[in-house]
Amino acid sequence: MVETVIAVDRVTKRFAGHTAVRDLSLSVPKGGIFGLLGPNGAGKSTTIRMIMNIIMPDEGKIALFGSAAGGRALSERIGFLPEERGLYKRMKVLDQLVFLAETKGLSRGTARSKAIHWLKRLELDDWSNRRVEDLSKGMQQKVQFIGTLLHDPELVILDEPFSGLDPVNSQVMREVVVEVARSGRTVLFSTHIMEHAEQMCDHIVIIAHGAKVVDGALADIKREFGGRHVAITFSRNSDAARPVLSDQSLVKGVADRGAMAEIELAPGADPDVLLRALVSCDVGLSKFEVAEASLQSIFIAKVGADGARPTAMTGEK
Amino acid sequence: MFQKTIAVIRREFVERVRTKAFVIGTVLGPIFFGAMAIVPSLILSRGSVGQRVVVVDGTRNDFGRRIEQVLQASTVGDGPKAKPVYAPVRVGAAGRVQDVIDSLVPRTGLSKKDAATLDGLLIVDEGSVTTGKLRYYGKNVGSLEDMRQLRSSLTPLMIAERLRSVGVDPVVAMSAAAPIDLDTRKVAEGRLTAESGASTFALAYAMGIILYMALVLYGTQVMTSVIEEKSNRIVEILVSSLTPFQMMLGKVVGVGLVSLVQLGIWAGAFLLLQQYQSTILGLFGVASASSGIASILPTMDPWLIVVFLGFFVLGFLFYSSVYAAIGSMCNTVQEAQQLQTPVMVMTISGWFSAFALLRDPTSTFAKVASLIPPLAPFVVPVRYSIARIPLPELLLYVASMVAGLLMIVWVTARIYRVGILMYGKRASFRDMLRWVRAA
Repeated sequence: MVETVIAVDRVTKRFAGHTAVRDLSLSVPKGGIFGLLGPNGAGKSTTIRMIMNIIMPDEGKIALFGSAAGGRALSERIGFLPEERGLYKRMKVLDQLVFLAETKGLSRGTARSKAIHWLKRLELDDWSNRRVEDLSKGMQQKVQFIGTLLHDPELVILDEPFSGLDPVNSQVMREVVVEVARSGRTVLFSTHIMEHAEQMCDHIVIIAHGAKVVDGALADIKREFGGRHVAITFSRNSDAARPVLSDQSLVKGVADRGAMAEIELAPGADPDVLLRALVSCDVGLSKFEVAEASLQSIFIAKVGADGARPTAMTGEK
Repeated sequence: MFQKTIAVIRREFVERVRTKAFVIGTVLGPIFFGAMAIVPSLILSRGSVGQRVVVVDGTRNDFGRRIEQVLQASTVGDGPKAKPVYAPVRVGAAGRVQDVIDSLVPRTGLSKKDAATLDGLLIVDEGSVTTGKLRYYGKNVGSLEDMRQLRSSLTPLMIAERLRSVGVDPVVAMSAAAPIDLDTRKVAEGRLTAESGASTFALAYAMGIILYMALVLYGTQVMTSVIEEKSNRIVEILVSSLTPFQMMLGKVVGVGLVSLVQLGIWAGAFLLLQQYQSTILGLFGVASASSGIASILPTMDPWLIVVFLGFFVLGFLFYSSVYAAIGSMCNTVQEAQQLQTPVMVMTISGWFSAFALLRDPTSTFAKVASLIPPLAPFVVPVRYSIARIPLPELLLYVASMVAGLLMIVWVTARIYRVGILMYGKRASFRDMLRWVRAA
């Protein structure tokens, strides 16, 4: 069993007049990238703010690293980029980063060298002695992103991290996020841009109107939803595939077109198992494609037009 | 934990000290003090010498002539540096006073370059001696100092003249009527100090002003800085790694240190000025002794400085935590104006109480005011500067101030904690009470 980094247990948060988050449970496993998806006003930011202990849930419990001490007590281990971006406008970029790292418990010296390293990495080193107010919005966002990562947190929580960035900067930041996750740390980020989630996430939760709609590993979700079909093109020895394709536990139906076949998988069947079975029978394959639905279409199907429509009293703030 | 608070303090301090406003304020302070010491001397000593006054003599006896003599004899400064105040000319005008006035007025108050210009006309009538009424038409009637000088030059003459008219020897009478020269020296704790009564008052007054200005000025800085953090939303990042109390403490202490540095620089400049006052005045061509303003920069006893700084620090912590709480309830500085009113009432009451007790620093009112935390920072140092407060009593005031401070910090920290994350509508006092009650 993988260690759970964030455990949200049946949490409800009501604001005057509406319920922002309703009986939401989710558990973020250690390592990898966890996407919190949902339309605008679904309660993503509220959920993240509750995780960060900025606001308190009305009902339910939240545990970080198995402890209920709250985000602030564990802030040395957590990097947080809020949706409401803000920096001290009149402070110099480097001073600002050093200060942010200090509030996470880093010493000044360490903070300084790390900040310089990151500024170089994100090509902001020419700006390190400029005031924040002199920077463009995108640059400010990068500075804040650096501030989130300076203290090498085990858990990185990013609320809409890529919104408002140009494709180049967005790409640079996404690469950093992927790298952080590869180094064994955990990233939770919220977004309403499905392409980003599709490219990066190992695990997703979709919420709409404050309630969870979809929860699971991205691959599982896709398999369950759209991974029922496999398209195969044989290069040789297609006869050897016949016994495999007639296995009822794997295949529900086959559309055999000679050199090609389109297979509808049996419920719960794993296309990997099918591929292994075909290869072990010495079937030559030039194409084996699990025809998956895109996250976009899953999102639309699950959330529906209704879920994306903000009701009068729904808002994330 | 403590390291984080220090980081907040350092940021608050460094960013503030770096601003132009701080540098300008710090430099302007000593200039202001310097001006306070030098300008009055300059005003008192300058412009009043060699006034060309025409004595329009409407009398038929020698009273007008004696007035002329008295004016001639008036000098400022001592010894060889003494300068005559007036360059009087007497014009006999018995019976035609108005004509003479009419002819001289057009020549009065012309530009300095005009050699024939007059500074003023002193009109002596037949009845002047009995009524004590003289008329002076001049360009410098707005100068209190010139008028005081003129009055004091003429008063002895008038008295002598009246006495003579009733047959008293003016020499005897004048010596009998010599004013008492009351040399006041303050006695503190059984020792004679060098402070005069006037300098004690000046010191108390100056301390009152500095306390009031510093508390309001820096308190407001704490408030705007909280609002700034709220409006640029950095508060969300801070609150995820710092407790609201750390944030508030760091801010209050950081701004407080800035204020102490500024006050320290000012105090240093003040002491230097005091040390070299006569030298500096000499540079401006003023002999300090002549102007009698040595008391403008009074001497400060070190214990007074301790009490002053101690109560300044306590008062600052008290008021700035209130200001921090107000800032946390608002989204813009404009919104804060209204909420500031109660604090203004408190500071202004403190200021007025301090001055109300100048006359009687040991009254019951003074003692009660010293026990009320919002007033004590103003009242206690001012009282102490006038009359030493016995140590046990002083400790009692410190204890009540500390108790009040802890209470207000407890309340304001609760308001602050909730307030900093509230956006949108400005919080009302009702909300505030709810936040305090919520644990």
